Amino acid sequence: MGSPATGRHTATDEARGTRADATEIVGSSRSAHEPVWRRWLPWGLLVLGALVMLGLQSQLYSGQERTVSAIFMFVALAQGWNIIGGFTGYASFGQVVFFGLGGYFTAVAMSHWGLNFWVSLAASGVVAALFGVLIGLPLLRLKGHYFAIATLGVAEGMREVVNNVPGLTGGGAGISIPTVGNQATTHYLGNDGFYLLYLVLALLAVAVGMLVSRNKFGFALRAIHQDEDAAAAVGINTTRAKVAAFALSGLLTGLVGSTYAFQQVTIFPERLFDVDITVLMVVMVVIGGSGTVLGPLLGAVALQYLSEWLRQNFTEVHTFILGGIIIAAVILLPQGAVNYVREARQSGEWSLLANVRRYRL
Amino acid sequence: MKPQPKSVSVVAVIAASALLAAGCGSKGEKTSTEGAGKSGTLAIGASMSLTGKLAREGELTKEGYQLCQDKVNAKGGADIGGKKVKLDIQFQDDTSKPDTAAQLVDQFNDKGVKLILSSYGSANTEAQAAVIERNGQVMADSAGADNKIFEKGYKRTFAVLSPATEYAASIVKAIKELAQPQPKTVAILSADDGFSKTVAEGGAAAAKEAGYTVLPTQLFPNGTSDVSSALTKVKGQKPDVIIGSVHLVEGVAIVKQAKELGVVPSGGFGETVAPPTPDFAKTLGKDAENVLGSSQWTDSTKGSDKYFGSAKDYAKDINAKYGHAPDYHDAEASAACLALVMAAEKAGSTDADKVRDALAGLDTESFFGHIKFNDKGQNVYKPMSVIQVQGGKAVTVWPTDSAEAKMIWPGTKK
Amino acid sequence: MSQFLQATIYGLLQGGLLALIAVGFSLVWGVMNVVNLAHGSFVILGAYIGWKLNSAMGLDPFLGMLVAAVVLFAVGYVLQRWLINLVINGPIFITLLLTFGLDLLIVQGMNIAFSADYRSIKTSYAGDSLALGSVRVPVGRLLAFVIAVIVTFALVALVNRTRTGLSIMATGMDRGAARLMGIRARHAYALTFAIAAALAGMAGTMVGTVGTFNPAAAGGFTLLSFVIAVLGGLGNMYGALVGGLLIGLVEAWGGQYLPGTWVNALAFAVLVLVLIFRPSGLVGRAYYAARQEV
Repeated sequence: MGSPATGRHTATDEARGTRADATEIVGSSRSAHEPVWRRWLPWGLLVLGALVMLGLQSQLYSGQERTVSAIFMFVALAQGWNIIGGFTGYASFGQVVFFGLGGYFTAVAMSHWGLNFWVSLAASGVVAALFGVLIGLPLLRLKGHYFAIATLGVAEGMREVVNNVPGLTGGGAGISIPTVGNQATTHYLGNDGFYLLYLVLALLAVAVGMLVSRNKFGFALRAIHQDEDAAAAVGINTTRAKVAAFALSGLLTGLVGSTYAFQQVTIFPERLFDVDITVLMVVMVVIGGSGTVLGPLLGAVALQYLSEWLRQNFTEVHTFILGGIIIAAVILLPQGAVNYVREARQSGEWSLLANVRRYRL
Repeated sequence: MKPQPKSVSVVAVIAASALLAAGCGSKGEKTSTEGAGKSGTLAIGASMSLTGKLAREGELTKEGYQLCQDKVNAKGGADIGGKKVKLDIQFQDDTSKPDTAAQLVDQFNDKGVKLILSSYGSANTEAQAAVIERNGQVMADSAGADNKIFEKGYKRTFAVLSPATEYAASIVKAIKELAQPQPKTVAILSADDGFSKTVAEGGAAAAKEAGYTVLPTQLFPNGTSDVSSALTKVKGQKPDVIIGSVHLVEGVAIVKQAKELGVVPSGGFGETVAPPTPDFAKTLGKDAENVLGSSQWTDSTKGSDKYFGSAKDYAKDINAKYGHAPDYHDAEASAACLALVMAAEKAGSTDADKVRDALAGLDTESFFGHIKFNDKGQNVYKPMSVIQVQGGKAVTVWPTDSAEAKMIWPGTKK
Repeated sequence: MSQFLQATIYGLLQGGLLALIAVGFSLVWGVMNVVNLAHGSFVILGAYIGWKLNSAMGLDPFLGMLVAAVVLFAVGYVLQRWLINLVINGPIFITLLLTFGLDLLIVQGMNIAFSADYRSIKTSYAGDSLALGSVRVPVGRLLAFVIAVIVTFALVALVNRTRTGLSIMATGMDRGAARLMGIRARHAYALTFAIAAALAGMAGTMVGTVGTFNPAAAGGFTLLSFVIAVLGGLGNMYGALVGGLLIGLVEAWGGQYLPGTWVNALAFAVLVLVLIFRPSGLVGRAYYAARQEV
């Protein structure tokens, strides 16, 4: 059962795919000995990627721009989820609550309180992070499925709350951000503007992911993921670390939600708190490879592009096909593409069939 | 993060450079002839809800658009500027989500498709209308009736259907005109989405104007099949008429559960959207008898036009092509497409601005009734029809000049 | 007062049916640590089977539900044995994703096969109601409630007194030890899932009789199953019954005494509070408290 023991791997397969993390922690301790250019390579690639995306913008028609913007949006969302779900191992199934909270806060701030977008954006992020602390304290004591369901409950509950205060949020009828005339506090950014904003958010999220991944905070999170009691025994303040991770992921998600609200102009609770958004985030991270930085990035790009393409070309049955693809991907690559490639290169075991047997009963 | 293995970084650099190189090239001409489709055809964009929770209504809307295309092309095409131009409606799925619907409008715009047929429902249409306005496209709205869409100052979206405020109000007007004896108290139950609430407000206003006592509106979650709490709350106040501002699920639930709970209004039930559909009578059986409903169109609506003929002809065509009696969602979709075609013919061009102006000034009869738009873009010149389920079928009872049968009143037996 | 009684009756009847739907979900989660996001789609599948039989052959849905149970049993067994088994040792979000994909597939499949039209299974008697004073008890719902409770008790008996049932419980408690005792774990798991699917399908037919349904209704049932399973304690079948009744009551009372649309928020608030303060459930202790929840 499992790939050949190489000493670095934990004994039982029940370690739930943290092998990659084990080698990452061991590997990172070698960082003091890496050549300097290697340490900066990921950052260089990030900058290069940013330039490429900027250049790409001139090539795209506005509808395509929106598609690519959506890809950036999901890159940011996936990276955000990865911090709490991938690194820390606490699968939050209610992540969309931050998205919705950020969106609605911005909408309310801009339409009822007359704030401009940039102030609302920053405030929404802060509000989302604070909410993460608020619910993180009680909920992060739960584990596994319980945590997942509790966060889902919070997200669904928040949607109902928003639905039921129409005086503030417009309830089921939605709320509109004023974008025309002298009621508009900020000029509408347009497709070009939003492309850039989403790009910035995506870059920010990836950068945060990279930072977290490489410093003590990230090690703490990974330690908690592997064995929380042992991490506590080693002296990590697990509560603080978990709550901080949750708040950080909430911050990123909230910023994206705020931008989304402005882009859509009119928002409804069932879209801003849609559980499908959370599931998409999770699918992207898992298929790409959870606990890595490249994984959510690739997963977001691949899945969003794929679902767009399917929807345009298989209009009647695209959801059906997407379901099939998700099933196939989860069976063939349960640890995600990036982790699969990494482990396969190390162990020489490329067979997908062996991969299928990995988690099988 | 573990230092990137060398080969992965090399691949990444190559990929990035390739994209960069592509980025430096030129965008290519955005040909405006793309908007006209292949030469001699007129491309129209339609983002439909083919999957998701609005899939059923989205499918009916698609049928309507499809039939319109068939009818127009059967005559060789629309007569625009002296040439016959065939229609080519491009369908895309918005999965019942407003932001996707809006995105698709943008994508159509990229391809140069400026004439758009709306998606289903007020939420989607509202999202689309905002984009239409920004892009300078033109949209014929088939299913977004909420007045709030048209209070934003949009000038490029035109709704062929009667406004939301008429849905329940027309039932009230029919009762006021035809019911003997007149009821005294009216209770309104409504789903909590924006459209239904606007409908309920319109109904309450009309009821007050008619001199009835109007109980406070009871709300229930949109899409629920359990309205028992709302019914139990009004039971004690013994309303004479219960009006439901609903969609099909809740409409069926109201009648079904009212029977279960022993809530029997002395006058009867009236509901929006649900009773005209064949599913309503099929699902409820004899419990559906004598329920009033409002409809944007019935097959006895007066009026005719050169493509569809009369309402009865339309009904025959839908039956022949799709094997079911037409729902008003079919009709309103065909009417929107018809309005677009007629506007293009009137303008003699497919240019978006000219079509927009032609739509604003359109004033014509059709199988759907009168099509004319007020300065906000809504069709307030066409009354809604009120039907009653008699013998398992929806028959028109109001307005009296297109009525097929007399209204049975009271609708419930004590 | 009669409003309160009416709401209570309604809530209890609805709750019994919900309990039947949730008990299988709870069993699967408790025994195999699998959260089946496709559970609601099994319910709707059962409803469609009942509807098809009723419209094609006029079969009464309370008989049709037995057919639905058998069909869903087979479907559930196959799915578990040859699909979900492949990822069952992985981290929880793997199985969550797999069942999510399955849910997409099944719901869309039903959409394509049956269209999104709303359906209802008609009977001549289900809409009538018995009158108890000023309170009405709908016949269809009463029948569904009685059947749901009987089946739940039958399940408890099955699990606690038959060899098969005990082997399922044992596998849930300690799979390794169970295998050492000669229990075929794959088969036990498959049976568990099959039973859950069968119960969901049976309940689905009854749902179709007392209300209307279409493919999009699946998600709501999955969500309610979560809430009830957690309330009752995972794998605790009596707990699922109690949880179901409780949720039914909460929704009914909430609908009466709160403005109409706060009901759902209330259900979620209950869920979150229970999870924070008594995660092992309201009724007794969870069977699987000893097992590490990862």
